[in-house]
Amino acid sequence: MPHLEITNLDAAYKSQPVLSGVSLSVEKGEVVSLIGPSGSGKSTLLRVLVGLLPPRKGTVVLDGTPVDYSDQRSLRALRDRCAIVFQQFNLFRNMDVLRNVTIAPVKIKKRDRREVEAEAEALLAKVGLGDKLRAYPSELSGGQQQRVAIARALALRPEILLLDEVTSALDPELVQEVLDIIRLLVGEGMTMLVVSHEMGFVREVSSRVALMSAGAIVEIGSPAQIFDAPKTERAKDFVAKILRAH
Amino acid sequence: MQYTFQFGQITRYLPDLLAGALISLEIAFVCFWGALLIGLLGAMALHFGGVWTRRVARAYVACFTNTPGLVQIYFIYFALPEFGILFSSLQAVIIGITLNAGGYLTLILKSGFLSVHRNELDAAEVMGMSRLQLVRYIIVPHIARVLFPPISNKFILMVLGTAVAGVFGVEDLMGRTINANAESFRAIELLSVTACLYVAMTILATLVLAAVSLLCFGRRRSSI
Repeated sequence: MPHLEITNLDAAYKSQPVLSGVSLSVEKGEVVSLIGPSGSGKSTLLRVLVGLLPPRKGTVVLDGTPVDYSDQRSLRALRDRCAIVFQQFNLFRNMDVLRNVTIAPVKIKKRDRREVEAEAEALLAKVGLGDKLRAYPSELSGGQQQRVAIARALALRPEILLLDEVTSALDPELVQEVLDIIRLLVGEGMTMLVVSHEMGFVREVSSRVALMSAGAIVEIGSPAQIFDAPKTERAKDFVAKILRAH
Repeated sequence: MQYTFQFGQITRYLPDLLAGALISLEIAFVCFWGALLIGLLGAMALHFGGVWTRRVARAYVACFTNTPGLVQIYFIYFALPEFGILFSSLQAVIIGITLNAGGYLTLILKSGFLSVHRNELDAAEVMGMSRLQLVRYIIVPHIARVLFPPISNKFILMVLGTAVAGVFGVEDLMGRTINANAESFRAIELLSVTACLYVAMTILATLVLAAVSLLCFGRRRSSI
């Protein structure tokens, strides 16, 4: 049974369709990367998965249990197991780093504060920010903020981590520090759904790569298959453009 | 002008006026917190409410921001008894000022709700925060900081606005001034002293609010 199974998913922003008939399954421990041009629906797919945009059609099944996006309990159960890291970090600017990481486990999951803080300190040390516990987001670089955002997502102990273009808003020299953290998580066997424009990184860490275009997955396969021997014309065209750009 | 100033004749009223000033501050303080609570509930209704909740909130704001506060208190004090709802003059004044300021604070706080970054709300939502947790942990800390100046101004306006209480026989600063004038007929001297006391109250309120701001946000390094 797949860990996460998406079948025939449709979504729209008002009357504008943004996803049409997306189907994808993710096994436990797999890293599936979503690539494709801007506006192809990659980030929207992640937003739909975590319930920020309700799907119009289709099903999402997590470990055999269908997610009902109109039911708060079902949504809470989903969010208990999936965490997302956003492109713009989305840190709470009125809270310091430690509180950003601990607020959800303490206030939402009602876990013991001291235990959560100890865990958060360890997570922040893991992402190289053990000395920034009391800093506010505005005092950190983009790369540091994104690492806090990753630690915050991990503090929720997710089974599936969704990464939405986590390096796109960063200066080139800050990209590596974030990618290194993700490599670390891949090594630990975390199940991930990654939207990225870092093609070298996608190729390196992904179990499978899905190419999206116009709100649909046009081809899915191993990184070697997608980048070296794409089957569809759309994938060939996209890969050719990437190779030209690099 | 033939008027001869005789401040000596009103010195005996000074302790009374000072006690009245204290009552004015108390009325403003009570009304302010009541109005702030109404404003927060109103802003939540406008921001998160369904169609009917939003309509009710909009109707409340329209009623209380488009009619004079004095008329509202008159209505509470003189019209509601016709429906069997009776308030003392102090109660009517407190309810009237609170409801009036609540309308304005609903609009002020609503603008604060709108100024919270969508990104932060998305993050809070996917973490599983409820609406109340969203308001408590994300929105209120944000608006407390960005809206501190306009909310402080509203409090100072409310301190001055308590003067309407005197019209209804409340023993606030203005009420005691009216009473003292009825006894002494030294209107210019009394009103001059009263005006100075109102200035002193607003300066005091400004200083206290500045201290609160410094205490709460002065060392806060986050940029909002």
